[in-house]
Amino acid sequence: MTKTVVPPVHASVTIARRPDDVFQVFTRGMAQWWPLHTHSVAADTFEGKVRAEKVVFEGRAGGRIYERMDDGREVDWGQVLVWEPPHRVVFSWKPNLDPVPPTEVEVKFIPEGSGTRVDLQHRGWERLGEEGLRKRQVYETGWPGVIDVFARHLSNA
Amino acid sequence: MTYRTFDPYQAVEALAASTRRAILERLRHRPLPVGELAKGLPVSRPAVSQHLQVLKAAGLVREQRVGARHLYGINPEGLAALRAYVESFWQDALKELKATAERQRRKRR
Repeated sequence: MTKTVVPPVHASVTIARRPDDVFQVFTRGMAQWWPLHTHSVAADTFEGKVRAEKVVFEGRAGGRIYERMDDGREVDWGQVLVWEPPHRVVFSWKPNLDPVPPTEVEVKFIPEGSGTRVDLQHRGWERLGEEGLRKRQVYETGWPGVIDVFARHLSNA
Repeated sequence: MTYRTFDPYQAVEALAASTRRAILERLRHRPLPVGELAKGLPVSRPAVSQHLQVLKAAGLVREQRVGARHLYGINPEGLAALRAYVESFWQDALKELKATAERQRRKRR
C-alpha cells in the first residue's frame, strides 16, 4: 500500500555527452549550472539581504550538499546517500530552513547512443505529511516548505 | 470541475497550515463528512469547515453529494497539478545541466 498523496516527481533530459561526464557535472560540478540566484535558501529566505555565493556538492557517500552565503554562513541542502558513479546518485533534499524532514532525490545516468539520459526522481513526500502530523503542535510549516522553494523558482523563470 | 485555474501559490499556502495537512491526511483513504472528519482532529467542527473551504478553493479538496450527505475528498486533479508544478522545476534545472554539459564539450574540442 502507498500512503503518498503526492506521488514521486519525475524529470528527464537527454544530453549529448557520456554518462561519466554528465555525472560529474551534475554532482561535483553543480555550482556551474545550478540557478543559484533564484534557487537557493538565501534567495528564498533573505530576499536580497544575503546572497548565495555557491553550492557545493561533495562527491562521495555521506558527502554534504550545501549552500555558502556571502556572509560566510553555510546551509545544508542534503547529504549523499548513494554514490555510484557514473550510474546513480541518491541524496536527501531539504533546501530550506523549515523544521521538516528531508525528501529524497535519485538521479540515474543511463547511456543512450553516444549520450546520456538523466532520469530524476524526487520522492519521499509522505515523510513530510507524517512528520508534519506528529509535530503539528510545534510547527506551523511543514510539507509545503519544500514545495514552496520550488514554487518560487518558477515564478522567477 | 471544482476549481477554475490552478494557482500553485494558493495550493502551497493552503498546505502551509498543519491542520489542513492533517485534514488531507485523513481524506487520503476515503471521502468523509465534516462531522466525522472533525472527530479525529484537535479543532472544532466549524474550524474544520473553514479549513475545508480553503482547501477547496485551492483545488486540493472537492465536495461530493451522496444522497443527503456532503462528503469531502481529495481532488486528484489539484494534487496532480501541484505535482506537475514541482516537476517543471526539475525539468528547468535539468535543461540548465544539459546546456552547461554540452557547452563544456564544445569548448574542449
